[in-house]
Amino acid sequence: MDLFVAAFGFGLVSMSVIAIAAVGFTMQFGITNMINLAYGEVMITSAYVAYYLNRAGLTIWVGMAAGALFGALFSFLLNRFLYAPFLGKGTSYLGMVIVSLAVSLMIANLLLPIVGYYPVSYHEDAGRLIRWGGIVLTRDQIIIIGIAVVLMLAIHALLTYTRLGKAMRATAANPTLARNCGIPTRRVIDAVWLITGALCGMAGVVAALDSDSFAIANGATFLITVLAAAVLGGAGQPYGAMIGAVLIGLITELSAAAWSPQYKEVVAFGILVLVMVLRPQGLLAKRGALAAAG
Amino acid sequence: MPSRFVFAVGAILVLAACGGSTPSGNGLGSGALVVGVIAPFTGADAGLGPAYYAACLPAALSINNNGGVGGRQVSCSKFDTRGEPADALPAANQMIASNSNLMAVVGCTSDEASTVVSVIDKAHIPMFCMTGQSEFNKTTLKYFHRLVPADVYDAYAMVGNALFGSTHPKYTKAALVFGDDIGSQAFVQPATTAFTKLGGTISINQPIHLGASSYRTEVQAMLATHPDVILTEALGSAGTYLKEVKTQNNGQMIPFIGSSATIDPVWFKQVTDAIGINDVLKYYGGVDLGYTFSGPAYTEFLTNLNASASQFADAPKYKQRGSTLHLYDGIIMTALAMVMTNSSDPSVYNPKIIDIANGATGATVVNTYKDGVAALKAGKSIRFEGAGGQNNFNQWNNSQSGYILVGYDKDGGEVKVGELTPSQTSQIIAAGGS
Repeated sequence: MDLFVAAFGFGLVSMSVIAIAAVGFTMQFGITNMINLAYGEVMITSAYVAYYLNRAGLTIWVGMAAGALFGALFSFLLNRFLYAPFLGKGTSYLGMVIVSLAVSLMIANLLLPIVGYYPVSYHEDAGRLIRWGGIVLTRDQIIIIGIAVVLMLAIHALLTYTRLGKAMRATAANPTLARNCGIPTRRVIDAVWLITGALCGMAGVVAALDSDSFAIANGATFLITVLAAAVLGGAGQPYGAMIGAVLIGLITELSAAAWSPQYKEVVAFGILVLVMVLRPQGLLAKRGALAAAG
Repeated sequence: MPSRFVFAVGAILVLAACGGSTPSGNGLGSGALVVGVIAPFTGADAGLGPAYYAACLPAALSINNNGGVGGRQVSCSKFDTRGEPADALPAANQMIASNSNLMAVVGCTSDEASTVVSVIDKAHIPMFCMTGQSEFNKTTLKYFHRLVPADVYDAYAMVGNALFGSTHPKYTKAALVFGDDIGSQAFVQPATTAFTKLGGTISINQPIHLGASSYRTEVQAMLATHPDVILTEALGSAGTYLKEVKTQNNGQMIPFIGSSATIDPVWFKQVTDAIGINDVLKYYGGVDLGYTFSGPAYTEFLTNLNASASQFADAPKYKQRGSTLHLYDGIIMTALAMVMTNSSDPSVYNPKIIDIANGATGATVVNTYKDGVAALKAGKSIRFEGAGGQNNFNQWNNSQSGYILVGYDKDGGEVKVGELTPSQTSQIIAAGGS
């Protein structure tokens, strides 16, 4: 029983890491209609930005802010100079997926000679263990959970209470109508890439910190989990991605406690397949903040 | 009619003269030769490929600086299998299809050996594989060579370290933490059998998914079984796992014994980054083949390895990586076999590789390519004892040698801390059933 309680605690950490990344990914898709398969590579690149700053003597929390800033700028530039021109030429939806896949491979291969294939770790003392009931977490893990909660509340506030958030939702629902209503959709989309890029960058640093040791190959691993959470919750739905993150995070840890750990991802993805069979549109399709009417 | 005959004979003679540049079995030919390094350069086992590439570069330098293979210069080409059989097959096919001048292939780890070995064998290219899989223990593939013992013996050596290592108390309760890849899982059954038959207990057998972002729950489950020691090979994920062991065990490490693959600069850096150098020095134990890291063969290897830094900056870091030493030797022996047979036809020089490795009675022992070529030109029979030491191939093209118990120094250098006596070794092998 103790192991399951501990696994539940670890699941809270996992779901926090996944949620930060998955919400950014799904917002990108929900508003810009772009499945950005380079998301995982932007995450890992941001993690390396934080790594080099950390090695230069800065704390990992400063590195995290820098990673978020880098992720925002990189994603913004990626859209402005790569994705947007393709979209402007009428590249199909599938074509854009292939473009983003190509970008992903290019980033990974450009990064490899710079960072090498060695796994690396941040210089960070995770702090003493804090025990509560059967839950055992480090100070850093509790901070990660806190960051995720604050970010999720901030995303909720952004989408619900701000003009920008409402403009994002309008753009997601019908970009032509939004433009005709005077919403500067291009600037809204720029803002989306900046905000979701910041989430992506921060998620990369948080995931790398949580892993203790990371390498360039982790970019692809991150993307699979993020995609799973986003699809499970309903593509394009931030609240759905949050629920997807909770389910994937908890299921992977609890199943590792219940069965052989080599099957933990099998169980998580098995449930994803089951949900897709029973509810192909995902758990929260057309009910989230970015959903189209109807 | 006579003029036609003369023309035909003339044409045959011209063709025969041109035939010198093809691998015909008559003469070494001309043009560059290639050694294919087929291994994971990306993916979870991306640390393996560079170790093998670091073997090829100094071997090529050693050969090229001493006249090449009959004047033919040797170069190294990487073929990335990503550690996945599905990616390995096209990589092997591409390697063979695009290089008609392949003299040898090195690498083929347990990740991809089952897939690529038969393909390379069918192409009649001598290969030196770093797989420990038991399916190759009695292989009949003629072009396959293995210069290291099967994983089963590596597993026995780890058990021997746990039970008989002189630098620590006898460990009787072990947790097995091995990656869920084919290569790592090959250790589990022999280690379990030998350890339990010799009175130990396995507290938990934990196959971990390599590349996972965390192992918190796995570590919690492992710690709950209170092992004395962790026996492990989880390349690529060792840092993440061991850091979580330390974190969840209140900053205290548990002794851990790694396979010979953990004597590796990538592994060392990853784990020291994660848990700190002091804990690696204090709690790590490993096993390795008994290298001396000295002598003329090693000096020649080291000189050329350091010179290879201009092509591969990390090459000098592999100065004590066993597989790097062995594969270097494999390439040198292949080149010597080509010189010996005066042939670039693999079907001619391949059988001579083992002759050069094992040596006939009265053979002259040589340690470098240069000395080998000189001895062959003097008409002598040779035995090559290279940077990795003496080789002893059996009838299944497997070379056998013994293990030592090792640790690391603070710079990542291997330190011998003990060895298993012949009696201890026999005891473990008997318990393991091999």
